Amino acid sequence: MTAILLQLVISGLLLGGIYALVSVGLTLIFGVSRIKNFAHGDLVMVGMYVTYALTVATGLDPYLLAPVVVLLLFGFGLFLSFALIRPIQGAPQVAQIFATVGLGLVLQNLALMMYGADFRSTPSIISGKVLRFAGVALPASLLIAFVVAMVVIAGLTIFLRLSLTGKAMRAIAQDRRAASLMSIDVKRIDMLTFGLGTACAGLAGALLAPVFPAFPTVGVNLVLICFVVVILGGLGSVEGALIGGLLIGLVETLSGFFLGSAMSQIAYFLVFIAVLCLRPAGLFGQRGAETLGS
Amino acid sequence: MLEVENLSKRFGGLTAVRDISLSLAEGEILGLIGPNGAGKTTFFNCVAGAMAPSAGRVRIDGRDVTGQKAHKLCRAGIGRTYQIVKPFAGLTVRDNVMVGALNRAESLAEARRFTEEALEITGLAPIGDDLASSLPLPRRKRLEVARALATRPKVLLLDEVMAGLNPSEVDRAIVLIRAIRDSGISVLIIEHLMRVIMAVSDRIVVMHHGDKLAEGKPAEVMADPRVVKAYLGEGFNA
Amino acid sequence: MGRTVDRFAALSLLLLVLPLFAPLFISDSYTLHFIWKILFWAALASAWNLAGGYAGQFSLGHAAFFGIGAYTSVLLYLKLGISPWIGMLVGGALAAGFALLIGALTLRLRGAFFALATIAFAEVLRIAVVNMRDLTGGAEGLSIPFAPGLGNMMFSGRAGSVVLVAALLLAIAVVTLIVERSRLGYALAALKEDEEAAEALGVDTIRVKLISIALSAFVSALGGTAYAFYILLIEPSTVLSIGMSVEMALMAIIGGMGTVLGPAIGALLIVPLSEYLRAEFAGSFQGLYLLVYGAILILMVMFMPNGLMSVVRDPRGTLRRLTLRRRTERGRKGDA
Repeated sequence: MTAILLQLVISGLLLGGIYALVSVGLTLIFGVSRIKNFAHGDLVMVGMYVTYALTVATGLDPYLLAPVVVLLLFGFGLFLSFALIRPIQGAPQVAQIFATVGLGLVLQNLALMMYGADFRSTPSIISGKVLRFAGVALPASLLIAFVVAMVVIAGLTIFLRLSLTGKAMRAIAQDRRAASLMSIDVKRIDMLTFGLGTACAGLAGALLAPVFPAFPTVGVNLVLICFVVVILGGLGSVEGALIGGLLIGLVETLSGFFLGSAMSQIAYFLVFIAVLCLRPAGLFGQRGAETLGS
Repeated sequence: MLEVENLSKRFGGLTAVRDISLSLAEGEILGLIGPNGAGKTTFFNCVAGAMAPSAGRVRIDGRDVTGQKAHKLCRAGIGRTYQIVKPFAGLTVRDNVMVGALNRAESLAEARRFTEEALEITGLAPIGDDLASSLPLPRRKRLEVARALATRPKVLLLDEVMAGLNPSEVDRAIVLIRAIRDSGISVLIIEHLMRVIMAVSDRIVVMHHGDKLAEGKPAEVMADPRVVKAYLGEGFNA
Repeated sequence: MGRTVDRFAALSLLLLVLPLFAPLFISDSYTLHFIWKILFWAALASAWNLAGGYAGQFSLGHAAFFGIGAYTSVLLYLKLGISPWIGMLVGGALAAGFALLIGALTLRLRGAFFALATIAFAEVLRIAVVNMRDLTGGAEGLSIPFAPGLGNMMFSGRAGSVVLVAALLLAIAVVTLIVERSRLGYALAALKEDEEAAEALGVDTIRVKLISIALSAFVSALGGTAYAFYILLIEPSTVLSIGMSVEMALMAIIGGMGTVLGPAIGALLIVPLSEYLRAEFAGSFQGLYLLVYGAILILMVMFMPNGLMSVVRDPRGTLRRLTLRRRTERGRKGDA
């Protein structure tokens, strides 16, 4: 029994690490720019397809192509920020929700038009390889994704704390107006943050491509999980995204085993509802943010 | 009419309002003054139901309404305005006031009557069909008052209603406040402008650092050395 | 409110009565189906509008209420032989009850938090339905054998269904108009503008919100029954999906939330557009119409956030926004 439990916990943590990586971009964008990007999952989807396309075109292993994907998505994020996000920055909540939902629809259906609805698996030499350690099976691709996720999140935390740009981002997150009065170029940082968040989504997509097939609506479920993670952890908090991601990974794996796969799908939604109704600020978020709706 | 007993409000370690008691008689205008940060608006918010007090009792017309929500307090007869006005921008002036009128009115027709009365007394009748968002600040302040009046309050709490008004607008506002009192409503007014407080108040209460510093007739209170010291040279704004 | 409401009320009612007579002039089956679709979506969007447009309760989970209506009436009919006319009301009541539950739990949530909560509730319901195969037929759903008869809410030929759905739309519109001009209407308008100020004026905002959500859920469920007994097949992936919730909201928003005609106008634009795109580009560009949806959404948000009705209600403002491309700034609400 303990062996099974250990396996479940490890699997849950590995999964959770990926969820954390996927969600950290969302929480960063929210923290700095107060944008709730409902298309974030679709950006991961774009990352997956780009990885797939590059792998097929160049024959290189997707893990080698990951840095390229990250750069491409960073640029895409900058573009989106300029074209779409900036114009809706000051708009009411409803408008932001719908604009990002609209963006999601556009991305999903571009993918559908270009690649059809079939599943696209990205091959890699690592696919299928499983490490065994202390009686626990660790799929190599998940392990790599987990390690990269931890490194990236650690890197982001250091960046936010120590670098000038990181401090500027934190300043804007705390008080936008005051930050702009301190001659911080808020608009530029907004764009940078969106680019960074999109790059994180792209990295997650690149790491997921060898694990999971890509299909146009893969982002829809992902974005829901992201929001669960981010709200559990607290909107705007990178540590929150990490802890939240790990917790949700555990919830999903454990409930899947003990309660069946149907329940595991409901499990995290129930956690979500509980968090929203009882402690909407999450573990590390700002108390009361939910009553302002922003 | 309004009795506040030992009201206190704590925010974590900070005591914004400490053990304040006061009473407002029928047809009286009570001025509440004090330096910035004295706790006046917090006190207001506790009386008006925007927040629940940590301790103490609030009674209106004998009824205990402590800690009840804002809409219940409005039903009980407490009306209030906001320091930073909150008009319903997308609605017309008349519709703004109608919302308040429906508090006590038993029918839409009666609400319309209350609305017209409130518009008359505040002089807003000619612009009744204008959008609230199109109004300049002094008119928005009047709208704020008209809305609160339409709820047929027994007690009206005015929170710094003079801020942002020029001297002639202030004079007109003083006339309005007196008219409100004359119509039978008791008024509790927070104000920084001394000449307004001196002109309209029957009595004054001075707050300082959350405590009640002094209470009494305007002339006595303003002569009280503790009050002068509390203001420390802020003196009179006339 | 006030004059604007009066000016448009009569016109709106007249426009919405007309579709009732459509079957007198049109007998072509395909055209009638097309009209049914427009009226159906107009009714659903109008139902959403009661919560989203008027009470400011921006829900992305209305498929839950629609689905409860569909499944309740279908199950009562299939298992107990109860007429859908009664099943419709039972479904409505259940949906309203579910809405009250959601409303009570999400009282403090605003904006996207509320929207996310509604998505979660609807998804939980959908997954639950998919997994209760014995009761609900699971993912395959339930189908209704065609047995025309007024008591069964099934009609041979489409005319009957068109009249039914036109009557539903008209009923929802009338309810909306009545609410608009009533005490509740004033309370809703105030609540939408400034909740705190509304409370200070005696508006019991909690009660008002719950009433509107319940009403909105009730009529959405009626739409669910109408759908079920026309299409004769209900499955969770259509009837309880996020896509359904988004489309309901989308049409109301594009047409103009918080107005009686807005949702109908939104449906009138979107349904023919999607039919056209689906027909023109079937196969080659499967997702094109959704892509266009998405693009329309984005453009609407940027240029006409108050929907198409704003062209009618505030022509000068709309024109200004279209030509100057000014950013929408709600300075009142803080961060710019």
